[in-house]
Amino acid sequence: MTTGTATDRTERPTTADSAGPNALMGILKYAAYDFRRQLRMVESLFFIIVLPAALFVMFGSITAYGDLPAGHGTVSGSIATSMAVYGAVVATTNIAGSAAVERSKGWGRLLALTPMAQWQYVAAKVLVALAIAVLPVIVVFTVAALTGAELGPWNIWLSAGALAVLCSTMFALYGLFFGLMFRSEAAVGAASGLLVVLGFFGNLFTPLSGTMLEIAKFTPLYGVHGLATWPQMEGEIMSTMGEPMDPDTLGMLITSVVVWTVIFGLLALLAARRGTKRA
Amino acid sequence: MNTGTHIEHNTPAVELINLHKSFTPLTGKGGKVRAVDGVDLTIDSGEIVALLGPNGAGKTTALDMILGFTSPTSGTCLVYGGSPRHAVQHGRVSAVLQTGALLDDLTVRETLAMIATQHSHHMPIDQALDRAGATSFADRKVSKCSGGEQQRLRFALALLPEPDLLILDEPTAGMDVNARRDFWAAMHAEAERGRTIVFATHYLEEADQFADRIVVMGAGRILADGTTEEIRALGGLRTVSVRWNSDDGDAATALAEIPGAESVRGEGERTVFTGPDTDAIAHHLLTHTKSSDLLIVQVPLEEAFVGLTHQAQQSAA
Repeated sequence: MTTGTATDRTERPTTADSAGPNALMGILKYAAYDFRRQLRMVESLFFIIVLPAALFVMFGSITAYGDLPAGHGTVSGSIATSMAVYGAVVATTNIAGSAAVERSKGWGRLLALTPMAQWQYVAAKVLVALAIAVLPVIVVFTVAALTGAELGPWNIWLSAGALAVLCSTMFALYGLFFGLMFRSEAAVGAASGLLVVLGFFGNLFTPLSGTMLEIAKFTPLYGVHGLATWPQMEGEIMSTMGEPMDPDTLGMLITSVVVWTVIFGLLALLAARRGTKRA
Repeated sequence: MNTGTHIEHNTPAVELINLHKSFTPLTGKGGKVRAVDGVDLTIDSGEIVALLGPNGAGKTTALDMILGFTSPTSGTCLVYGGSPRHAVQHGRVSAVLQTGALLDDLTVRETLAMIATQHSHHMPIDQALDRAGATSFADRKVSKCSGGEQQRLRFALALLPEPDLLILDEPTAGMDVNARRDFWAAMHAEAERGRTIVFATHYLEEADQFADRIVVMGAGRILADGTTEEIRALGGLRTVSVRWNSDDGDAATALAEIPGAESVRGEGERTVFTGPDTDAIAHHLLTHTKSSDLLIVQVPLEEAFVGLTHQAQQSAA
């Protein structure tokens, strides 16, 4: 009896209020589905996991200078962190950006027809972004460990990995800005493509020096990279020239991350305002 | 339908009281756009109501407020006696959304499963697929589904929480004739289960065939509200067109003598009369004048709306 199901509703206890344990379960269930969905998108996973690992092998493990000491570990160890950071920021950029596109295309309206609240959606997406950002760190560090790269004692590996994931979250705002501003997957793709340039200026791919390095210090990935490699390098800058350079201070790196987080946050906010006005 | 009224203890499904919604247009010039401009409407449980009107009549805005997507500028919008959001959270109201709203990389079944995680109570996914006629392509990716198939998926999504009230915003837009017929057949089945259904359309035939009650909207207001027959009878929806014979004098002067006629205009060689009672007009023209080649024409809806809007303005003045 189908009319029976309608009658049941008035009798069953109303548990749909979006607070309490149900809210948390809702977030976790949604995040689990979304995580699986992201894993299936092979194209973006290639850039998030395979490319950083391949770049590490190219720049870090099969080079002559890889085994030279650097900080508490080796040069290749520091390059492993750089590539992990690169993979993690591509991940957060992609997930935040595509979330914005997804919502603008009406998926948000569909979710608005369920008990799910906006903050639950955001929380689920944050969980998914963190879970995906962890993947390149695990893969690159595994390859690094297998090829004899050294970061130092195990707690340095752990804190470098954690910092890479944590700092990459600021690029969720960067991805959000592109997603909200242009509302297309292509724009999000361009944003993550642009990360290669920012990665170059963030001292991720090849050690910069001179004027280039001075410019680099003002770019968004520089601070993230500096903080993630801090446990191993403690601010020391690798040089191809041989002469030592003035190390970065922790304060300067943190300032960089904070300032860029604020800038990306403001840009995302502006883009979001523009978005709601048009709708 | 009687089960519907039984469940609700006579709380109306939807109650709109002096509802207003205005937007500031992006272009910036001119004042605010009054999308919904003072709507009073009560929809009882078990009713099947068509919101009929041209684009820009305020149908979508009104439905958006009933679903809690936007809040009214002023006035009251109650769904089952509470806020729209409350009704949504308890799975009492759901909707088939007009466009978009789907993720291309998911299959039909996965889309349902993903949304189902958020409903505290929902029907089995296979049942929703079956009722919406989506079982045959359940494992197809959304990106590979036709427009009609995607619409069936949206229908299945709307059925998931077993809502008492189902809102459809131009549900058959972009469907071919067969898909449209199948869709309404499925909707009939849902109506028989006692659901209240409110749908927006700009096809009079669709409103006519499916709804028990038609609410005509234009310029953010309700222009007419009644049964299908009552709406059809409204002046302006039908015209009587003849070849006027000049022996009968000027048609505009003759107008006053024709019962049931309200206005007249020339259309090439023909003369067109409009009024609430086209039968009386036709009868008079055939028996009392030398007019020939008489046609009673159903006016295209867009044209009829212009007539109704005009009437509304006159009655307001």
